[in-house]
Amino acid sequence: MHSQNIVLDKGAGDNKFFSESKTRLPFVLLLPSLVVMFFVVGYPMLYSFVISFTNYTLVSSGGPKFVGFKNYITLFKDPVFGRALLRTVFYMLIAVNAEFILGLLIANAMSHVIRGQGILRTIIMMPMMFAPVLVGFQFKWIFNDQVGLVNNILYEIFGHPVIIPWLIKKPLGFITILIAEIWMNTPFMVIIFLAGIMAIPTEILEASDVDGATEWQKFIHITVPSLMPFIYIAMAVRSLDIAKAYDLVSIMTGGGPAHRTELIWTYVYRLAFTSQKFALGSAMSYITVLLAVLFTYYLFRQLIRVRKVRE
Amino acid sequence: MKKAKLVFVLMLSALMVLGAFTLLYAGGEKEKSAGEKKAPEQIVLKCAFIGGANYEELYKSIPEFEKKTGYKVEIVFKGDGFQIDKKLKTDFAAGTVDYDVCWDHSSFFTQYIKAKGIIPLEDYFTQEELSDHIPMILNAGKKNGHLWIIPRHFDISCLHYRTDIFNNEEYKKKFKQVTGKDLEVPKTWDEFKETALGLQKILPPGMYATQFAGKEEALTGRFYEILIAEGGQFFDKNWKPAFNGPAGVKAATMLRDLYQAGAMPPGMTNFVWEDVAKNWVAGNIAMYTEWYGWYSYFQDPKSSKVAGKFDIARQPMGDAGIHSGWAGDHAFSITAASKHKKEAAELIKFLTNYDNQYREAKLGFLVTRQSVWKKIIEEAKQSGNPLDVKRLKLAQLQASEDFKTPPLVAEWLPSSDIVYPILQAIILGDKEPKAGLDEAARKVEAMMREAGYYK
Repeated sequence: MHSQNIVLDKGAGDNKFFSESKTRLPFVLLLPSLVVMFFVVGYPMLYSFVISFTNYTLVSSGGPKFVGFKNYITLFKDPVFGRALLRTVFYMLIAVNAEFILGLLIANAMSHVIRGQGILRTIIMMPMMFAPVLVGFQFKWIFNDQVGLVNNILYEIFGHPVIIPWLIKKPLGFITILIAEIWMNTPFMVIIFLAGIMAIPTEILEASDVDGATEWQKFIHITVPSLMPFIYIAMAVRSLDIAKAYDLVSIMTGGGPAHRTELIWTYVYRLAFTSQKFALGSAMSYITVLLAVLFTYYLFRQLIRVRKVRE
Repeated sequence: MKKAKLVFVLMLSALMVLGAFTLLYAGGEKEKSAGEKKAPEQIVLKCAFIGGANYEELYKSIPEFEKKTGYKVEIVFKGDGFQIDKKLKTDFAAGTVDYDVCWDHSSFFTQYIKAKGIIPLEDYFTQEELSDHIPMILNAGKKNGHLWIIPRHFDISCLHYRTDIFNNEEYKKKFKQVTGKDLEVPKTWDEFKETALGLQKILPPGMYATQFAGKEEALTGRFYEILIAEGGQFFDKNWKPAFNGPAGVKAATMLRDLYQAGAMPPGMTNFVWEDVAKNWVAGNIAMYTEWYGWYSYFQDPKSSKVAGKFDIARQPMGDAGIHSGWAGDHAFSITAASKHKKEAAELIKFLTNYDNQYREAKLGFLVTRQSVWKKIIEEAKQSGNPLDVKRLKLAQLQASEDFKTPPLVAEWLPSSDIVYPILQAIILGDKEPKAGLDEAARKVEAMMREAGYYK
């Protein structure tokens, strides 16, 4: 191993191209993927960014005209956009935190299961195996006010028709979508946290047993702090995922009624494709992406901080 | 060192090869596009069509066309109406149209004209070839003095009502007790509202007097047809929104009052076409306006509790003495990008000829050739169910007298997108009808101004 390093160092030292900068080699190695990323991600993003400063619509007969920040100003004046943005943030906060708490509790409980953990893991992961569109249809039926499962159960319990418009009433519509979201994605947190728990050195737990720590103390003072990097990564991934929430809401309520469950991406889709306002939709996407990037940046900063503390 | 150099050179070469392949592929695709000139027997007509079981029966006849002409027909895209609409708009905008014939719709085609995606068709069809189509439907495909779409089949709504309720002596008696009036099939929207409110008081729990589809264009369209019947307009002649006048307020108030009185299911504002049809076949609704296209589903005792227990009537009239008749037709257009326009027109003529329209009529579609109607009405007489004949005759009458498309303007769907959430807010009681419609009118006016209709 030692001699191999010497050979590599010697080789690199003989070549000006590679020796001038230590950062050049990684860059060269990344070049192919950067080129591909530029064409499939960078260019479309740049294009839509430019479009967001024009009056471009999907059925424009002439070319797009530059309108400066007009689209961005329009959005900030639009109360529907403001409410959809707030609702998306609220949706993200509730869903991510609920998934985090449930995920942590389930993972901790599962880590104590000695026999049949493999089967349990498969069962727990099942909601993740369904496409969000299918989950949307499933929950739309469960909460349907006429033929839905929940109202039918209530009918069985009370003996007369109980018709609750779950998907219509405030705030029931929002809550039912949250239930679907949490049901579908908690398993992701469980799997990540379970992997984290399994990686905790047994010596620490054994030492705490010797010290007479209770299960709760072990959970709070050993398990949770050890899991912090996993928690930040899982929450960052889920936050980004939920910031893009579209399928579930689109199927279950379409963002309605009367914008009551409107999230950013259902509104973007409606503006860009149905209302043909492609430029306005692009501007809105940029605001959303910017917020998601800031949120992820914050979570990764926290992750780095935790890692530094541990080191 | 040499190895590293070699790796670097290899990587650069790989990227260049990748780039070259990309260019070659793009070139090849361009070559294969709709515009390429080939020998007559090799002409390939590409199509973007509507998909779905019954819609696709027509495409089974295409081999016959290929055999007759020597052309090859490729369906490069199939999707539902809204999926094709999205595809067409994005393809027209991006200039990536690789098909000659596309599905079209009377509610959508004005968008494609504005996007310069489709061409006028009058040069490709003679008057004689078009004369068999129901004139009102053919005219619905005209804009700026040109014909843009060739109709395939249409749909319009009629009032569906339960005979086991309207003809039931017990219900009649109770209705009289509650309202002081006879239980009759409503002929006007005022009667419709009154009947629904009265019926709701006597129906068993879990049943509703009526319903409407409650979101997206489905809701705007229903509002639109009541608005017209009541003497209103969606746009005035200068394309300024006019739906917030007394007729619009009356229509919106009726929808709100029926919902607030519990005469419609509480989930109504989340219903689209499938949902209202499901409620009807589940036997939960006493009367509502519905498209003819669902008829065979409604009459199938395996899927419908109301099979043989309902009748139909012409849509109610409003204060203007006009019957509601929001309607639309599925159609075909030729794309501007096609360089086989003549051949594309031949394909459309084939797909809408007598034999194919008869084939579609047998599936339950309301086709547009008058000659086919004569034949299917004669055949329906043999079925033994008088409703089979009544349905066809009523549809024919409505097609010739009540057929009303939404305003023929590219901004119809964007307008609908503004109006329907506000209509929902009115129905749910979040906004007053007048205030809500005024707000919608202001927003639609701003959108139309931005689109260049006025300063």
